Amino acid sequence: MTDHPPSAAGTRGDAAAPAWWAPARTALGVPVPLALAVLAVALALPAVTSGYWVRVLSSICMFAAMAQSLNIMAGFMGYADFGNTVFFGLGAYTTAVLTTKAGLPVVPAVVAGALVGVALASLMGLPLLRLRGHYFAIATIGVLEAAREIIANVGLLGGGLGITLPLFPGAPEVFYRIIYYLLLGVLLAYTGIAWWLSRSKFGYALRAIKADEEAAAVMGIATTRYKIRAWRLSAFCTGLVGGIYAYWLNFIEPPMVFDIMISVKVWLIMLLGGAGTVFGPIAGAIILEVLQALIWGQFLRGHVLILGAVITLVVLFMPAGFMDLVRKRFSPRLILADLRANKI
Amino acid sequence: MNLQSLINGLLLGGVYACVGIGFSLVWGVANVINLTHGALIMWGAYVTFWAYRLGGMDPFLSIPLAMAATAALGYVIQRYLVNYVVKIGVFMTLILTFGLQLVLIDSALFAFTGDYRSVTPSYAGAGFEVGGAIIPYIRIAIFGVGLLLTWLLHLFMTHTKTGNAIRATALNKEAAQLVGVNIGQIYAITFALGAALAGAAGAMLSTLFAVTPVMGNPMLGKSFVIACLGGLGNMWGSLVGGLVLGIAETVGAGLIGPAYQQAISFSLLVLILAIRPEGIVGKRFFAEVKT
Repeated sequence: MTDHPPSAAGTRGDAAAPAWWAPARTALGVPVPLALAVLAVALALPAVTSGYWVRVLSSICMFAAMAQSLNIMAGFMGYADFGNTVFFGLGAYTTAVLTTKAGLPVVPAVVAGALVGVALASLMGLPLLRLRGHYFAIATIGVLEAAREIIANVGLLGGGLGITLPLFPGAPEVFYRIIYYLLLGVLLAYTGIAWWLSRSKFGYALRAIKADEEAAAVMGIATTRYKIRAWRLSAFCTGLVGGIYAYWLNFIEPPMVFDIMISVKVWLIMLLGGAGTVFGPIAGAIILEVLQALIWGQFLRGHVLILGAVITLVVLFMPAGFMDLVRKRFSPRLILADLRANKI
Repeated sequence: MNLQSLINGLLLGGVYACVGIGFSLVWGVANVINLTHGALIMWGAYVTFWAYRLGGMDPFLSIPLAMAATAALGYVIQRYLVNYVVKIGVFMTLILTFGLQLVLIDSALFAFTGDYRSVTPSYAGAGFEVGGAIIPYIRIAIFGVGLLLTWLLHLFMTHTKTGNAIRATALNKEAAQLVGVNIGQIYAITFALGAALAGAAGAMLSTLFAVTPVMGNPMLGKSFVIACLGGLGNMWGSLVGGLVLGIAETVGAGLIGPAYQQAISFSLLVLILAIRPEGIVGKRFFAEVKT
């Protein structure tokens, strides 16, 4: 890709963004009271809501954490990684195999799952991170699809039948709360990473690579090394979530965890919230999951159709994220003007 | 490896060439990874199916019909949707075409239900024998039509003004704009051409596979592999890519097992991207591959 995105979905400086939203400008990127209030609500909600809503909340945390992991690669570094779900699947499968076949406790198994992803990212880094734009996107999709097909055929891994994980020894209510707080903790940690990326030398290198990789290299940034490190970090974060997911659902099979729909949903969340921002993935996950629970979860048929329409609308009318729409005060004139400006 | 499996691979390659050429064209010219390609193939197949079911039309005769329908759909998609986001970046077009794909597939599910349909002309299943190997008529016909369409596309690209404008745009869109090419229009025409080729592929696939709303999904995956193997926007490259993939899958399935067919094709994709991203017969400059 030689041409860079002109305005939307961009993070390069984001001159138009208000200071409280732009990363690396204020202490936390968001007013501290708002962040604390959201956190307090998130911590307190399971005590007052039913099992279904704890599930929705856990799902929000999970997808927000996945979007934060993708944010490292796509939001900060500008690499169109469509196959990050492969690390999710590997994390889930490693956890499942180690807890059932090797009898390992859950926590080390989940960590091992994340490390398997790191190993794969290190292995693929040199050959695949040379590719850019569409080529990188396609290559990651290829890795995802190949991994699914291979694992579906390996008998030791349960093949197409999937694997059932050991059950949590205790009440389901307690279990679901543990999972929720675990995912919430992971999300907080990843948001911390995103915040660190928005102000550290490492994050600055990634954003330089996004803005112009040649220029970054000329300026003395060891681009290859940084790119591989970023992918490892992203893989670790995604893999950890995958492992927790496997334990949460107790059963996994290849089409379920190596699903490209997961990639697309995570992308949508990141775009909705604003790519390359610290809190965007959380906002995006809340918006999308609540919409899903309230609107198209109610339809027995046609929710794929609605999801497709939502994707189309988001890409056309809020390519720079939901907050950009708020900034434009939902003015149709401004939205259409931007749309026309992007037309070729 | 015997003669039959080699022939099977070659003939499968002919099918793949038809599947991949439109996808490769759009990627090479408009720099859009068209994830609706599989859905367009499916819609082409449904056009042929209904022409066969309602009008008793031979599937090979309804190819132009399927092409016209999907071309119109493709033109609208690019002109009124994708053209608004191509400038923003790579992943925007990916996400957008994925969303559109969901809409196209789910609306087919609403319109036609998920029932498996089939197009069975009288000559389905018949074939002739060459040196102990059986060659089905349908597959050799698909191979022939694939060659014909590739040749026609080649003629269009090299002998018409629009074709030259498309090739100029693929090479350098700023320079093309400077000499008066309307990029938006060229992108839309290219997308329509790609969609028409998808429609043709769908029309022919309906004679080989069951026609369902999700029939295009595996074909989209194959398109990635074919396009990357052959080199983007390279018309004859898709033929090469299709043949290589067809033979690799058939031979690989014989060696490792038929269950690994998909794994083989996607491993091939990752491998070719890692080793030679410009494709087997592709040229480096054409698709802006950087190392």
